[in-house]
Amino acid sequence: MNPKVILVIIISAIYGLFVGAIPGLTATMAAALLIPFTFFMDPVPALVSIVTMSAMAIFAGDIPAALVRIPGTPSSAAYTQDSFELTKQGKGEMVLGVDVVFSAIGGLMGAVILMTSAPLLAEIAFKFTSFEYFWLAAMGLSATVMVSRGSQVKGALSMILGLYFSTVGVDITLGYPRFTFGVVELLNGVNFIPAMIGLFGVSEVIRSVMQGELAYPIARVRAEKIFSGMFKMFKRYKVNVLRSGLLGTFIGILPGAGADIAAWIAYAVSKRSSKEPEKYGAGSIEAIVDSGTANNACLAGDWVPALVFGIPGDSITAIVIGVLFMKGLRPGPMIFETQPEIVYAVYLSFILANLLMIPFGYLAIKASSQMLRVPRNILMPGILMFSVVGSFAINNTVFDVGVMLVMGIIGYFLEANGFPVAPVVLGIVLGPIVEKNFMMSMIKTDWDVTQFFTRPVSAILCIVTLFIWSFPLFAALLEKTKKKNNQ
Amino acid sequence: MKRNDIIAGGIFIALGIFIFTQTIHYPSPLEKGHPGPGLFPNLLALLFIGFGLALILKAWKLISAEAEIVPGPKRIANALFVLAIVAVYVGVVNFVGFLITSAVLLFLLMKKLGVTILKSAIASIIITLFINLMFSKILRVPLPWGIFGW
Repeated sequence: MNPKVILVIIISAIYGLFVGAIPGLTATMAAALLIPFTFFMDPVPALVSIVTMSAMAIFAGDIPAALVRIPGTPSSAAYTQDSFELTKQGKGEMVLGVDVVFSAIGGLMGAVILMTSAPLLAEIAFKFTSFEYFWLAAMGLSATVMVSRGSQVKGALSMILGLYFSTVGVDITLGYPRFTFGVVELLNGVNFIPAMIGLFGVSEVIRSVMQGELAYPIARVRAEKIFSGMFKMFKRYKVNVLRSGLLGTFIGILPGAGADIAAWIAYAVSKRSSKEPEKYGAGSIEAIVDSGTANNACLAGDWVPALVFGIPGDSITAIVIGVLFMKGLRPGPMIFETQPEIVYAVYLSFILANLLMIPFGYLAIKASSQMLRVPRNILMPGILMFSVVGSFAINNTVFDVGVMLVMGIIGYFLEANGFPVAPVVLGIVLGPIVEKNFMMSMIKTDWDVTQFFTRPVSAILCIVTLFIWSFPLFAALLEKTKKKNNQ
Repeated sequence: MKRNDIIAGGIFIALGIFIFTQTIHYPSPLEKGHPGPGLFPNLLALLFIGFGLALILKAWKLISAEAEIVPGPKRIANALFVLAIVAVYVGVVNFVGFLITSAVLLFLLMKKLGVTILKSAIASIIITLFINLMFSKILRVPLPWGIFGW
């Protein structure tokens, strides 16, 4: 921990808080815009920066939810209504206090689970071969589709599109160029960083200039008062905190499910087990405690599969894994032995970021009305410029700026038509893992497909994957029987 | 969403068919005729077509298409302006240099989005210098300096 890293933490924290607090700028976009910088850093400060930024951004998304009824990031959407209703009732200080304190507690819980479970899982992962990795990646892809909000068909199409992008370039078995159309720059595949900047940064700029300036009234709160009564609140809801912290981390560990899903599921569970379910939607602080804890806990959980297996837990870790690959670092059980400093950097930055969340969160709330007034028609051109220069900087070629632009247009059209963008990234990152491990397994065994089902661990992973596939079927059946019973 | 979903489904199906037309020429490895580079893309093509059809069928069943929000021509013009200005930027930046091109892009875009001339000028100069500081001074990324050397 040297002064340079501490400076990185402080700058990343401020950046995360700012991006999280501004509606429309998501934590994933923040990560995409951050990678050109982290690309030129050493791995440790780079990871510290991304972890700190994401933890702060997911909390800061709660601020506009409470003050203007627009979630700052999708992870706060589940309880935006409740937050704003309570603010209207004059309890804005309490809402923001709960947001800061329980985000930090959730984040710390997730960090503790990450630190205890990742080394244990890594022991198991050492025994994994290409067969098991194939199933893990397949499982990740399936989970991504199952948990996508809205239409699962659209989630699937987004993911297949990502997988398709991952096939561009020379193939891994024969070195045959696929879908390069004679363009030399595409031989190494679609460049990952410009693609991410396009999908998450440029698409947002396009959407924003088509929306025009948004003006919203901002509720006023006194930041000094946010921490009063928080100890009582914790004592009252300690069971909720424990449940949502565990639930959120578990959802994070599932490949493909991110903090937004964690918040929605924690909200639903909370409502079902609450003594006052009628308050949900009309201003329930219990809902905010539960989902606010869960989404920050989820962030740490997302790193478990990322560090242990190299399988991303959400879109942010997908971006991180993509960048680590580019730098020649392979996340997986080996890094626990060969590069433990990377693992400890992630652990330590989760603990630090969540402890720093209390003072930094307080300052962010104090500055919230200024942050929310930053004019979009100046901010968006700035983001566009950063995107262009960031895409250019990685390989020093304008071709990458073109990649960014095309991906930006694709990202815009997907989002505008209700296709989630996160599965595209997971497809791009998981595609090569699925294909490579499948082909390697097949070549090793001379095309003996049965090995995928007869090896013990493979068989278990296969059953889990099939279970995920059959889940919608079960859900539909359950719904039907429920309806019948009611009649 | 009804009409758009049918169009989107059609595009994905077309993409699937396009993949098939490409993979036909792919070589097959190993003497035994095992699948090679074409296997994975072909599988994806099938999935594109399958899920594309599912999307169309689902959209077809929707009875009332909700009123679709079509952005006004001014908004679309804004978006096209963004794309065009980046394309021009890419074309001239190596010749004119990073500082001037960036500042001009920012200024024009802000002006287009309704910021006053003075504010646009100040903001675009500050942002350009900030990006220059971050990338060129701190990260030491060589930016295109153009014929004037800045």
